[in-house]
Amino acid sequence: MNLVHSTSSADDRAVTVTRVSDMRWHAVEDDLTVGRGDASRRPDGRLFISIDAWHGAVFDRIVAAMLADLPTSLYAVVDEADHDSRSAWERAGFAVARREWGYLVPTDPHVSGLGSVRPPSGVTIVPAGQAEEGPLRALDRVIRDEVEATVGWRTMPAEVLPRPAGTTLVDPSKYAVAQHSDQYVGLVRVAPLIRQPRIGLIAVRADRHRRGIARALLAHALGSLHRSGLSAAWAEVDEANAAATALFEGIGARRTAGTLELVRR
Amino acid sequence: MTKAAGGIEVEGTVIECLRNATFKVELQNGHMVLAHISGKIRKNYIKILPYDRVLVELSPYDLTRGRIRYRYR
Repeated sequence: MNLVHSTSSADDRAVTVTRVSDMRWHAVEDDLTVGRGDASRRPDGRLFISIDAWHGAVFDRIVAAMLADLPTSLYAVVDEADHDSRSAWERAGFAVARREWGYLVPTDPHVSGLGSVRPPSGVTIVPAGQAEEGPLRALDRVIRDEVEATVGWRTMPAEVLPRPAGTTLVDPSKYAVAQHSDQYVGLVRVAPLIRQPRIGLIAVRADRHRRGIARALLAHALGSLHRSGLSAAWAEVDEANAAATALFEGIGARRTAGTLELVRR
Repeated sequence: MTKAAGGIEVEGTVIECLRNATFKVELQNGHMVLAHISGKIRKNYIKILPYDRVLVELSPYDLTRGRIRYRYR
């Protein structure tokens, strides 16, 4: 696909925007690529777009071309601290749909206060890599159904969005689980990134909430990281998720970044 | 150093995370640039940290500015 979308003189620039493939646009000025636009569909069906341009006028040309070519609704992601990018998207009619906080989570139990935390009576923590895959997948499905019936997965970080097969368990070795009797009732997923591991998901079955299981899972996961010599982990939390925010801030997690999800309907 | 469709691409190491979602990156030739991260990296929630090795596309208008297009593992 090579559709010349538009040629214009914006800001004294002769910029041509071309749709070079189904999901990609290029802006060219004097034979130089001065901007790119990309689109991709998330597993939940939403269409996210991104644009890289060296000038605001070029950004405006690319976004206009993409808006003309693509259906609504369209989504974009910006760093909250990147005021220029946010302004550019807002010029194009995008508005903030939700905000996600980035937390730096201390692993040291003396800092987090989790050193004395034990699982509630009858609950044991199965370390990462030791959980049985079948029951773990069953727990994942139960939790996903519960979330979908309440706040929905659209408020969740992209990493844990449902996949077409109905599960995100691509690597069971990353999950530690809470077990009660013969049943798995909660899980924590830690992506073992080299210098700063990421807590990708922590969840407990709805009928086991408010018993300290999530806190015990977190104590276990952070304790393991601390013993491995890692001082901090990373976690992202939707600002509307008061329980998760309270959980992380209660153990000394520091808010260090914000990500905005924008939408144009 | 490679010539990409959009400009010159150079490998570098992230030295510092600055305000306004900007990073100070030391290039292989020792030069320092200020770089934003690309929209694609942002869209995919890839986190950039100090000491990460990255691929930077330099601005054709200002060689002290760039855009992080790829983070090496």
